[in-house]
Amino acid sequence: MLLELQRTFRATVTSRDDAVAPLVRAAHGPVSRRIAVYRNTVQKSLIDVLAVAFPVTQRIVGERFFAAMARDFVVQHPPRAPQLSLYGDGFAAFIAAHQRTQGLPYLADVARLEWARGEAYFAADAPALDPAALAAIAPDQLVKVKLNPHPATRLMTSTHPIHRIWAVNQPDVADVPAIDMNVAESVLISRPLYEVHLRKITQANGAFVAACAQGQMLGEAVAQAFVAEPAFDFQAALQDHLINGTFTALTLS
Amino acid sequence: MSELNLKTLTAAVAGAVAMAAFVLPSAASAQQGKEKCYGVSKAGENQCAAANGAHSCQAQSKADFDGNEWKYVEAGSCDKMGGKTQAFQGKGTPMDKKGG
Repeated sequence: MLLELQRTFRATVTSRDDAVAPLVRAAHGPVSRRIAVYRNTVQKSLIDVLAVAFPVTQRIVGERFFAAMARDFVVQHPPRAPQLSLYGDGFAAFIAAHQRTQGLPYLADVARLEWARGEAYFAADAPALDPAALAAIAPDQLVKVKLNPHPATRLMTSTHPIHRIWAVNQPDVADVPAIDMNVAESVLISRPLYEVHLRKITQANGAFVAACAQGQMLGEAVAQAFVAEPAFDFQAALQDHLINGTFTALTLS
Repeated sequence: MSELNLKTLTAAVAGAVAMAAFVLPSAASAQQGKEKCYGVSKAGENQCAAANGAHSCQAQSKADFDGNEWKYVEAGSCDKMGGKTQAFQGKGTPMDKKGG
C-alpha cells in the first residue's frame, strides 16, 4: 500500500498527470494546485541540475528554451539513480532526437561534450603516467607498450567545431563571433591535478588516443595516427599527453 | 617523423619524455595547496533551493512554473554564431499568454 502510494506520487511529480489526486485528502484549495507545489519543486530542481551540467547548451539556446527542453526531458526520463551528478546521461541523445533543435545540428554534440566533461570531473582518481616509466622502457620494447587512459580521460570527435563553440560560449566571452559550423574537431578531456582540461587536438592525435584506449600497442596506435594524418607530430602529441595526464600507467605485453 | 620506424619512435618518445619532464613540476610542488574535497558536489547541484539562498524551494514552487506549455523561443548565442534558429519557431507549440 505504501509502496503503491509512493510510486503513484513519484509518477505524479515527474509527469504532468495528477495520478495521486484521488488519494489526497481535500483541505485548503484545489488538489491540483497543491500537487503542483511538489511537482514544481521536483521538476525545477532537475532542470537546474541539467543547467549546471550543460551550461553551454543552455547559453546557445537561451534559458527559456533550455528550461522547456529540459522539462520535456525530465518528464520523459525521470531520474533512475538517487545521485544528481548522474542525472543528464541521455540528455544529448534526447537533444539529437528533439524536433525543435534540428536547426542546430551541432547542439547534441556540444551536449555530449559537456556530459563528457562532467564524467571527467566525477571520474576516479589515478596518478598520471610518470614520464620516467616511459623512459625506462628498452627501445626495442617501446612499440609493444600499452598506454592506459586515465579514468578521467574522454575523447570527443564531431563533424562540427565543438571546441570552438564551447570556448566562445564561456561566461567571460561577451561577443560570440560567427563560426563556420562545418569544421570537424576532436576534443580531448583530461583532469590533471583535479582540474578538468578541455583541449582541441588533431584528428591524428584523436586516432592515436582512440587506439590506445582500445588497448592497442604503441607501435600500432602511432601507425593509425599516421594513417589518419601523415603530418602527425607524435613527439609533440606525446609530450602534451604526458603534461596533461591523458594516461595513467603503461603495461608491457 | 613522417613514417614509423623504431628509431624515430624511440627518438620521439625520448624527446617527449625529456620535454615533459622539463615542463612538469615535481609532484610534490604541484600538489601543494591543492586537495580534493571528497563528497562535495558541483555548486548548487545537491540543493533544493538556489545556491545563493535567493529563494527557497517553496517560493519557487509558488511561481507558476508548471503552468502552461513553455514558450520555445531562441534567446541564446546560436544566432550570433551564425546558426539557424528557424526550427524553433512555428512548429506548433501554442504560445502561452503569461510568457512562462
